[in-house]
Amino acid sequence: MRTDNLEELIAKFKQKDRRALARLISLIENDPELAGKVFKHFNKPNDAYIIGITGPPGVGKSTLINQLAQKLAEEGKRIGIISIDPSSPFSGGAFLGDRIRMSGLQQDKIFMRSMASRGAVGGLSRATFDICLLYEAFGMDIVIVETVGAGQSEVEVLHLADTILVINVPGLGDSIQCQKAGIIEIGDILVVNKKDLGGEEIAVQLDLILDDAVMYIGQTGWRPPVVQTNSISGEGIDELIEEIWNHKEHIELAGILEQKRQKRLKDKLIALIQFKILNYVMQHIYPTIEKTKLNNIYENKYNVYDVAQSIYNDFFSQLKGRES
Amino acid sequence: MAGPIRVLMSKPGIDGHWRGIVVVSRGLRDAGMEVIFGGFQTCEQIVETAIEEDVDMIGLSIHSGAHIGYTKRVVDLLKEKGLNGHFLLLVGGAIPSKDFEVLKEIGAANVYGPGSLIKDIVAFIKEHVKK
Repeated sequence: MRTDNLEELIAKFKQKDRRALARLISLIENDPELAGKVFKHFNKPNDAYIIGITGPPGVGKSTLINQLAQKLAEEGKRIGIISIDPSSPFSGGAFLGDRIRMSGLQQDKIFMRSMASRGAVGGLSRATFDICLLYEAFGMDIVIVETVGAGQSEVEVLHLADTILVINVPGLGDSIQCQKAGIIEIGDILVVNKKDLGGEEIAVQLDLILDDAVMYIGQTGWRPPVVQTNSISGEGIDELIEEIWNHKEHIELAGILEQKRQKRLKDKLIALIQFKILNYVMQHIYPTIEKTKLNNIYENKYNVYDVAQSIYNDFFSQLKGRES
Repeated sequence: MAGPIRVLMSKPGIDGHWRGIVVVSRGLRDAGMEVIFGGFQTCEQIVETAIEEDVDMIGLSIHSGAHIGYTKRVVDLLKEKGLNGHFLLLVGGAIPSKDFEVLKEIGAANVYGPGSLIKDIVAFIKEHVKK
């Protein structure tokens, strides 16, 4: 039988047991409160390098990761991969299909996990950060996070990853698309994949636009390079890896890496506070309101703003009651 | 706290009949399960994937006629790793009914031949997955 005994799992995890890692991922994914209990057992500093990979569905993110991870593993790196695909808003189920692009992964150096977004909308899932920490504790040198197929605004990976690759392909639009805010701005490296389909034109466009974007570059001193790849043949992958290390060196020297790591801890802290408070309110205060006031809201006797305020007031008075 | 049921759907060996596994995977997705789509995999890859993805069920789709050999290989690999009985194992595809009992003796929890209904598969998984 599978075990859910935390002590036992952590002991095995410390011996680098892949099954224990896999099981702990599930437990944390299912119960965010559990992460606190798990991480009590580790005091390793955050030293894995997190690479975020994002871009529209079908541009070749997973196939590119297959190539990247293999090359990095050949260099002796240990790699943890998280690939996120969307959960259905109707059934809650998910079809996680990233794995079929990654059949070449070496088992001893690489651990790959598919995750469903489970209702999160920023392109990641709620537990993504926790699983990054778990990979770090397991001894991974590099964590690769693949977002859901992103549209224009799924930019949450910005706050998680050290280096972000935004993947594009030829034929998705004209130069105006490249001017829009959102996902295109967050790339530290812009990749034009499917080079064989004529990526030259879009690569030139992106280059021109980046030359104009002085303001944006001014913030970090980093001018994102544009790399053309073919993730099936492997063309351009060496150049891409070189650019990743260039970016890493740049942000380390400029002190940006440290800022990023602090920022994501701060974000996580705020997310945890929100989660805990919301959870408390939903368990202890909301159920009564639902019974007594919700129908009145529907019938226009109360408005949502007043009811929200009264929930807040109830929460506050419960807190005071606990203190005394 | 139990999350959604996670299943691995794979086709062992060289067998291009793709439709069945896609239809069943979609059905399981619509029943609220998280389906890890393994696609074409070797038996070794199937077992390794099931471990990494920490699935509750492994579904093998086989249309090549080699269902007995592949199912036995997967079960043997699971036994080697001390994982016998960890995963609910289901086998489906173009499988003659005379082989159903043979596959169950090897270790399949159930077998689904042509004409099987997705709702029956869903009901069976929900009943037998150890959550």
